[in-house]
Amino acid sequence: MATLHIVRQSAFASNDLAQCISSLCRKDTVALIDDGCYNMQHSLIKSIDSKMDIQLHVLAKHAQARALAINETEFSKMNMENLVELTFSHDRVITWQ
Amino acid sequence: MTNLSIKEKSIKEKSVIEKPIIEKEKTLAIINSKAPYSNIAGKDALDIALIFASFEQAPALFFQGDGVWQLIADQNGSLISVKDYLKTFAAFEFYDIEDIYVCQESLNARNLSASFHIEKVQMLSKQAFAQQLATYNSILRF
Repeated sequence: MATLHIVRQSAFASNDLAQCISSLCRKDTVALIDDGCYNMQHSLIKSIDSKMDIQLHVLAKHAQARALAINETEFSKMNMENLVELTFSHDRVITWQ
Repeated sequence: MTNLSIKEKSIKEKSVIEKPIIEKEKTLAIINSKAPYSNIAGKDALDIALIFASFEQAPALFFQGDGVWQLIADQNGSLISVKDYLKTFAAFEFYDIEDIYVCQESLNARNLSASFHIEKVQMLSKQAFAQQLATYNSILRF
């Protein structure tokens, strides 16, 4: 019963990530794309409870385009195909934009 | 005449047999996360909710973050020349939109009490809010 949360906004500019994090259920997945990639640098990401078992993904090209280094111990790199696969492997999708 | 009634009967029986094959109706939740007057997000969300409801697929409405301002009583858009779509919220009951949830933490953060301009609003803690949201098949956010 997992939800895929696609985050498209920087938490430095909007509250979307904070609302997303407060709406997480156990074993959900968060995918950072577009300006959402900046959230890798935001302290809110670290506030996610490790007991929640949340998977974090980042669209590699979008991060690369923004000169953002991906810490692969924390985030899994993905491409567009992987993102589409994630939408199929989850029960529902919420796009935070 | 008799033939016709037999035909009707067989159609009726057939439909009864086929019923379990029909896929269960998908449920829709709409998250409102924007304050009402400076953009059209809330109006768009309302339009979609009413369209779904007119096809007998009433969605659940969730209010989170600045979206909770949409529920607060005594607002008056006409003072700032905005068409007050919030008044249409009163029609939810007529449209059978009955599941309306608001995030308690979002209210607290804005120093708001539970005085809403519509009835039957259910307040949920952020955990309960997240769990309730996860019971719907599709979720749209505005």
